[in-house]
Amino acid sequence: MGQSNTIRILDGNTFVVSEETGDIEATPSEPTGLFSLDMRFLSRWVLTINGERLNALSYDDLQYYEARFFLVPGMATHYVDAKLSIIRERAVGGSFREQLTILNHDEKAVDLEVRMDAGADFADLFQVKDEILNKKGELYAEAESDRLRLGYRRGNFRRETVISSSRPARYDRNGFAYSVHLEPNEQWDAEIDVQTFAVGPGGRDLRLGVTVHGHERLALQHDLEEWIAKAPKVNSEHDKLAAIYRRSLIDLAALRFAPLSLGGQTLPAAGLPWFMTMFGRDSILTCLQVLPFAPELSKTTLRILASLQGSRFDDFRDEDPGRILHEMRYGETAAFEEQPHSPYYGSVDATPLFVVLLDEYERWSGDVALVKELERECRAALKWIDDYADLAGNGYIWYERRNTETGLENQCWKDSWDSISYADGSLPPFPRATCEVQGYAYDAKVRAARMAREFWDDPAFADRLEREAAALKERFNRDWWVADGEYYALALDPDGRQCDVLSSNIGHLLWSGIVDHDRAEKIARHMVGPRLFTGWGVRTLAEGEVRYNPIGYHNGTIWPFDNSFIAWGLRRYGFADEAATIASGILDAATYFDGRLPEAFGGYPREQTKFPVEYPTACSPQAWSTGAPLLLLRTMLGLEPHEGHLAVEPVLPVGMGRIEVLDIPGRWGRVDAFARGRLDLDKLAD
Amino acid sequence: MADATTRFFESLDRRGYEPLLNKAAGTLRFDLHEGPQTTHWLLRVDRGNVEVSQEDREADTVIGTTPALFEELAAGRENGLAALLRGDMTVTGDARLVVQIERIFPGSPDAQGPRRLHQREVR
Repeated sequence: MGQSNTIRILDGNTFVVSEETGDIEATPSEPTGLFSLDMRFLSRWVLTINGERLNALSYDDLQYYEARFFLVPGMATHYVDAKLSIIRERAVGGSFREQLTILNHDEKAVDLEVRMDAGADFADLFQVKDEILNKKGELYAEAESDRLRLGYRRGNFRRETVISSSRPARYDRNGFAYSVHLEPNEQWDAEIDVQTFAVGPGGRDLRLGVTVHGHERLALQHDLEEWIAKAPKVNSEHDKLAAIYRRSLIDLAALRFAPLSLGGQTLPAAGLPWFMTMFGRDSILTCLQVLPFAPELSKTTLRILASLQGSRFDDFRDEDPGRILHEMRYGETAAFEEQPHSPYYGSVDATPLFVVLLDEYERWSGDVALVKELERECRAALKWIDDYADLAGNGYIWYERRNTETGLENQCWKDSWDSISYADGSLPPFPRATCEVQGYAYDAKVRAARMAREFWDDPAFADRLEREAAALKERFNRDWWVADGEYYALALDPDGRQCDVLSSNIGHLLWSGIVDHDRAEKIARHMVGPRLFTGWGVRTLAEGEVRYNPIGYHNGTIWPFDNSFIAWGLRRYGFADEAATIASGILDAATYFDGRLPEAFGGYPREQTKFPVEYPTACSPQAWSTGAPLLLLRTMLGLEPHEGHLAVEPVLPVGMGRIEVLDIPGRWGRVDAFARGRLDLDKLAD
Repeated sequence: MADATTRFFESLDRRGYEPLLNKAAGTLRFDLHEGPQTTHWLLRVDRGNVEVSQEDREADTVIGTTPALFEELAAGRENGLAALLRGDMTVTGDARLVVQIERIFPGSPDAQGPRRLHQREVR
């Protein structure tokens, strides 16, 4: 998955990326290592026997937190002569543990020099990503009689890796070694423990008292079993759907992350390996996708984002009062303010989406207490939309970074530098306003009006919000409609000029409900039309646009998460067949990735490539790709909370067969949903 | 001497209520260490109501730092969470209170805030 032949195991934001032998030899282009708190605690971890490197016969990533490697000495051509087997079994859970087992298959005794080279460069994740490796502090290594201590110190900032072993070893500054004598058929093993420390001046660890669950292997296994047992069951005639669902559930469990300030409660991190931290946008959208299956993630996400909501103006962090954070980091560059992620607030969609999630969560869960608990934060978010985001003073959400060195240029989900353009391919000046964010703002106001009326006892505020929403919808439909193409512009520039390219962003507008009814069919037709729809899914940018490129990050690839929200939007406006078409394409694509949808894949036509071409990215699993199949399931089944019960109105593609989703949790207790595939997609294409 | 520091706590004490702390409850002590001398500031927070004193009492959360760094924090020139990550500020006890309290520190005095299109010439 993702990076070529790397094995990844993780627990929270501690994870190990290694080669298929289990070795770690980090180079700028091979970002392997043991990572924790956004820093690399091991950059070298190489096992040799009698000075010889080992070769992988096979490996297993048993669970997301453990892996096993079967190795033999020597090069590939020597396999037949192997008289030794070596098994490395490893797990992360708080610390990183590796069990080494060596078996002698020879008829005579052997003497072995078993050595592990160990080293740590303490690179910040941002330095690894951007290949900057000159450290400002001091690296140190101390070999003691029973442990090896690798450390990094810069002022009061200290990170340490401490390596110890269940068997006595000889430690030196570059690793440790054992002298092993093995009789015929004898076996030797040792348990190696690698602890990571974020040491404060008092010697206390930064993470003290923060645990999601026990870190022991059994506790991790128990936690995963409980997580799966708690979720609804999916049975299906479609041979892959149940497997895709299970893969998603397990990946979602792996991506749970406990921030330092929440006392061990979890929310979805954005993705492995670069994004094992909280992101406002990614965490919220993932929660929305998985609400029918794992509603408790929404509650913790809303709480943590509320507790870190912006409270002042800070130009370095692009922080404003009421703004919801974009990204939080714990590494050296955040600590020394070389990067603004402590936390960084440069996103314009997280704030309205925060309000949207709170309302949607209540509609499912009936958790009125949380809606009341977060009233102040919701009002602050709505105030941010009106007071601080409207940079052009015309009633839209705009963005322009104030941190011009390390802040983000594009503060919408398509955040690469060239994602927003005019039809002639040129890039607009700042501030910019993208269409889908206006939809989120509309939806936030409509939903906040419901909350104000029903739970905050403030009908006047509700009326005001509804008036504002109606005015926004009218204004938007006037200013953003591209008359000759019959779709909405991707963005506006500060002069009100349209970035008039055809993009996937307009699909989100259906989800938000800002599309005028008489225009919805035109948008739906674009979504499944030849310029945007490839047979697998909707491209980020339509074929025929100047910047279109089937493997352009935000200019032509297909993003499963994007598609899941588009399908939800189509369903909302009654285009159930079109929604099913998209769901079917994305779920078909998932089967080519063993049920684990990547961040993005190529926008080539389906008939041309026959299989979905993965975008060369290092990030997998990624939370909102993991959540996509779950939202598509919801969409196909037409699951919708309605006056205290769960409405089910399935429209499945023909090949899908029968689907049952059992024990869907919500304000109704637990209910089941059943569906049978009827829709003939070929007819739709005529 | 520590001007912004004293102003910060006195103003908090005068307000008596801080809406940003309306979900917080507990006691939090700041220990400002300078050589052998430690200055204490104790906050008692009860759902937004805040009392400030200089008692050296046990607290749910204890934050340790230097008077110099605290002065910068109180003036908005330093950021509390970054200081924590750097180890320039330490925490013992309930970390949640720290995140809540951090938000009541002022922003930078030099912050421009959102750059509105039609005010740019004036600024």
